[in-house]
Amino acid sequence: MIEFIDIHKAFGSKQVLRGVSLEVKKGEIMFIIGSSGAGKSVLVKHLVGLIRPDAGRVILDGVEVTNLTEEEYYPIRKRCAMVFQNSTLFDSMTLLDNVALPIRKHFKLSLAEARSEAKAKLALVNMEQHAERYPADFGDGMRKKVAIARALTLNPDFVIFDEPTTGIDPISANIVDRLIRDLSDRLGVTSIVVSHDLRSIFGVADRVAMLYKGQLVLDGPPSLYRETDNAIVQQFINGRPQGPMEV
Amino acid sequence: MQALSPSKLLSRFGAAFMAIALDVGGMAVLLYQILRCLVPPRLDGMETWRNLYKVGVKSAPIVVVTAMLTGAIMVIQSGALVAQFDAFGLLGWGAAFATLREVGPIMIGLMFSGRVGANNTAELGTMKVTDQIDALRALAIDPITYLLVPRFIAIVLMMFLLTIVGDLTALVGGAYTGQVLLGVSPSLFASSVIEYITLEDLFNGLFKAFTFGIAIAVVSSHYGMTTSGGAVGVGRSVNNSVVASAVLIFVLDYFITSILH
Ligand SMILES: Nc1ncnc2c1ncn2[C@@H]1O[C@H](COP(=O)(O)OP(=O)(O)OP(=O)(O)O)[C@@H](O)[C@H]1O
Ligand SMILES: [Mg+2]
Repeated sequence: MIEFIDIHKAFGSKQVLRGVSLEVKKGEIMFIIGSSGAGKSVLVKHLVGLIRPDAGRVILDGVEVTNLTEEEYYPIRKRCAMVFQNSTLFDSMTLLDNVALPIRKHFKLSLAEARSEAKAKLALVNMEQHAERYPADFGDGMRKKVAIARALTLNPDFVIFDEPTTGIDPISANIVDRLIRDLSDRLGVTSIVVSHDLRSIFGVADRVAMLYKGQLVLDGPPSLYRETDNAIVQQFINGRPQGPMEV
Repeated sequence: MQALSPSKLLSRFGAAFMAIALDVGGMAVLLYQILRCLVPPRLDGMETWRNLYKVGVKSAPIVVVTAMLTGAIMVIQSGALVAQFDAFGLLGWGAAFATLREVGPIMIGLMFSGRVGANNTAELGTMKVTDQIDALRALAIDPITYLLVPRFIAIVLMMFLLTIVGDLTALVGGAYTGQVLLGVSPSLFASSVIEYITLEDLFNGLFKAFTFGIAIAVVSSHYGMTTSGGAVGVGRSVNNSVVASAVLIFVLDYFITSILH
């Protein structure tokens, strides 16, 4: 279970999160939505310790991780994978070696063994035929698929997907959505997905939280977002330029 | 340019001083973190080989050319004096003394900071601004042991080895120039080197090369890892890295020379 308790975070004078509390149960798929700059990426990075809160606590399966040192955080990160919003593939390596790297480092396997494991992970996102090429040869969508494969190599219990389907064609987006659903249904993986993709939200989410002005305005099942009379949520879901929301 | 009021000038001076102090402190911490991973060694083997190859093999040609010319220049400079005093037997000593103790390590150090240090900063800086460093951390891979320690070892070791290569090449270049320009036979040049040059001269220069290597590795890694602000930021970091390395090389050279003399 993932618990964010009253998280505050500012960068300089810019207050990004003003008391966000969120609980994600085991196996649940939690979507986080909100306008650009709302602080979605900042919030999820708290979980893997890439950003530390100014105030508030982060608890993972009952263990408080808020104040762990960088070294103490490494075991946590093996259980908790993150797919970044922009492609973060290592451009000095082939796609295959990108995926093989965490396998080689953490499972004490030879390079050859790690590569054959990596190939299987690439197949999950239909990228195995491009294994020997470099990230620079591809666009954002294909790189993102490889980054997803790489994040899944350590068989994590928790996965953060930061806009996994943005910039991907609808078919690939469907594959990614199904993958997220499968991880939860078959392996009990807990996922947090940052997304603007309404099709994904109403397709795979168990629960959706909307972030606005550093706080959650609504937290509940996707159906709630159709029914709610919260004007801000309505405006956001329907994409209306006019309304109470300050963008 | 507008004249600055004294208080503004003072505050600018203060800000610059703070920035420098921050960089120096950051480099000291980085050096400590890297050294801590050396005993017992915690580093990535594959990355280390890749960097040794990249730094060593690709820098060798430029080092050889620079050193060859350096040796030749030493001989040309001392040529007039040697001829005037008819001191042909001292030519080898003169050229080798200056090259081994001073000019060799400095030239190769500066070449290295421009060739290898700049490359290191640009690569790490780009990884930083494109979140690749954070991605490593998120994969539970420590950027220090995976990225920095291999680069540190490659730069320090190759700087040291290439200085030895450079010293030898410079002597060959000097001997050749001596013969062509002054008619000093290579054997007279060599015997002058062997007779007057002590091992201490050699080790003095190699010790400098070793410290220059550490300086280039730490400075270039520090500026790379603290890059922010996209492509512009990478450019700024590379710039800072090359300038700081060069300054540090001369500062270290000054202190080592004055202490070991
Ligand atoms: N490392 C940082 N330093 C300073 N400010 C930051 C940093 N990271 C994020 N911010 C600021 O925090 C705010 C929220 O950023 P964040 O990336 O979380 O937005 P987001 O909700 O993910 O938006 P998007 O949909 O565009 O990805 C932005 O205004 C951003 O400028
Ligand atoms: Mg974001």
